[in-house]
Amino acid sequence: MVDEILDQQILPDMQTLAESSAHLANAAEQMCRPGVSPLREAYAQAFDAWIRVSHLRFGPSEVENRAFALAFWPDSRGKIPKTLAAHLRKADPALLSDAKFAQSSIAGRGFYALEFFYFSPEDIGAEPSEFTCGLTRAIARDIAKNSEAIYQDWLSGYATQMREAQGRYANESEVKQELYKALNTGLQVLSDMRLGRPLGAFDKPRPKRAEAWRSGRSLHHILLSLDALKQLALSLSAKDPALAERLEQGFDRVLARAEALDDPRLEGVADPQKRFRIEALQQQVNDLRTLIEAELGPSLGVLAGFNSLDGD
Amino acid sequence: MTTRRSFLTGLAASGFLPQVSWADVGTPAFLTAGRDRQGHFVLVGLSGAGAPLFRHQLPGRGHAAAGHPTRPEAVAFARRPGQFAEVIDCRSGTILTRLTPPSGHHFYGHGCFSPDGTRLFTTENDYDNARGVIGIWEVGTSGYRRIGSFSSGGIGPHDLLLRNGAQGPQLVVANGGIETHPDSGRAKLNLATMQSNLSLLSLSGQLLEQVTLPTDLRLNSIRHLTLASDGTIGFAMQWQGDAGQGHPIVGLHRSGGYLQLLAEGDPRLHNLNGYGGSLAFSADGAEIAVTSPRGGVVQVMNTQSGEIVREHQLADVCGLSSGRSHLIASTGQGHICQLTPKGSTLLHQDEIAWDNHLIALPQL
Repeated sequence: MVDEILDQQILPDMQTLAESSAHLANAAEQMCRPGVSPLREAYAQAFDAWIRVSHLRFGPSEVENRAFALAFWPDSRGKIPKTLAAHLRKADPALLSDAKFAQSSIAGRGFYALEFFYFSPEDIGAEPSEFTCGLTRAIARDIAKNSEAIYQDWLSGYATQMREAQGRYANESEVKQELYKALNTGLQVLSDMRLGRPLGAFDKPRPKRAEAWRSGRSLHHILLSLDALKQLALSLSAKDPALAERLEQGFDRVLARAEALDDPRLEGVADPQKRFRIEALQQQVNDLRTLIEAELGPSLGVLAGFNSLDGD
Repeated sequence: MTTRRSFLTGLAASGFLPQVSWADVGTPAFLTAGRDRQGHFVLVGLSGAGAPLFRHQLPGRGHAAAGHPTRPEAVAFARRPGQFAEVIDCRSGTILTRLTPPSGHHFYGHGCFSPDGTRLFTTENDYDNARGVIGIWEVGTSGYRRIGSFSSGGIGPHDLLLRNGAQGPQLVVANGGIETHPDSGRAKLNLATMQSNLSLLSLSGQLLEQVTLPTDLRLNSIRHLTLASDGTIGFAMQWQGDAGQGHPIVGLHRSGGYLQLLAEGDPRLHNLNGYGGSLAFSADGAEIAVTSPRGGVVQVMNTQSGEIVREHQLADVCGLSSGRSHLIASTGQGHICQLTPKGSTLLHQDEIAWDNHLIALPQL
């Protein structure tokens, strides 16, 4: 089970993240005008690759703030545009060196920062200039370096630690529990953040809280993440074919409903006619979570007590 | 069941009986929230031996409670992001009144009274502004009245207790540092920048002292508190980052702002799973214990050496109280246990799953 998850999901997906991020850095080096399609395409591929692994928040991604530097999200206090606008005002060329940039605020780094330059430069006061170009290149190089560092750590030992249940894992059960936790966290992020934040309350929907709405990627991220989580859930439940089948059906229902929304920015949260379909999607994700906690957790030796299930 | 007494005290929501005190017989030793077999969320008064004396159904899942210093009444708080707090007559379990936070706030689940019992303080989330708030309630003979609030000194204030400092009473606040919003359930919105702190405030909200953890422990959320008789504050943390090596979960704040993190480097910290649920000093203050429902364990540490003295394995354990002579723990499996150096002894088993905290009430 663990080998399969490593060899067919985590390692190839981390490799894709590293390679597509390197490609993004190259593309950013060669072009700067944000509307240029090869650049947008490179950005989309690398961002896709990140979303597919964004639930794997343990080990290499957590070293030196790498994951936070790739993805400052959610940005509930609007720190990204503030940080970027400040960078642009100061226009300090020293910031653009890799070493200096890696020390700068994580709110000004990563995929969500780059989105402002490529899709709504006016929100951060970005005018076409040498410094603006230099800053987008510095962000892209920083993404590439962090992605490569994560991948290299997986290759150089972390995958072996999980495979052999060594180091921080006392036994195979702890490895499975780590993966189970990643699945749960991914579904919680999907329900509470990717869907819950834009849904807000019925009388106060928050469409501008949808993830990456500027680039129209909100629904796309939901689909990418559902697909990655589905594969992880199926691998974790492989020893119980009946459960695996129910999980597969559950994920397929959620995927079908999400695709049918046909609403890239989740703007429907503010339309009473469409909102209920997004709420229904969230409910289905929660049903999946309930099924996973009730049946998959115990089969992997995860305590599902009244107090141990979630914290306060 | 409407007894004459509960009928009267129900009416007395606006007419509390000031002459009644904890010296009245039959008041419980502990209060705890729980969930019964039908799935109802309840507040239960327990005897010193862990036997239920009364049960009161709550509108939602409860969390902690605070006992009034002189009157036999207590306030039971909703689990976050709940919006109710029930004032209970502890002789009967009857509800006297229900408190609701101002619009745009929710309770975090903890609160405490001023020493004279004329004020109740509650930890709250002013969620659209991501601001931690201490709500102030006037406690009169005619009931509870909201009279204001002040900053908690951080984001996500959770546990709150009263401490007698050299300059008079002060509030100790565990600002967990984590931003949440009811729209996104219990999801953590600011892990990239979170910073927890322990704040000491005057009863009027003046920040007297604030301590934060070292940068490498930025992702440790200070959540629960306990107090020793010499004024030492014990705090329990919840690690929000990668599991990896065992991070410290228990710390002490001694007068002068000196922080001591316990059991640092001990591999057994790993058994806590990065999560401290409740903590309590031993009656003599020589030891401090922490529960971890995720690890199914209680660890007892020496407050001088900081070392782990022993562990008690207890599935789904979370509630903990000093007890008169020995620590008392409660579990999600309905157990109330006494913990001694020799091991744990079951005092009572119930069909109710006991929730996070076991709150000791004033005893005379």
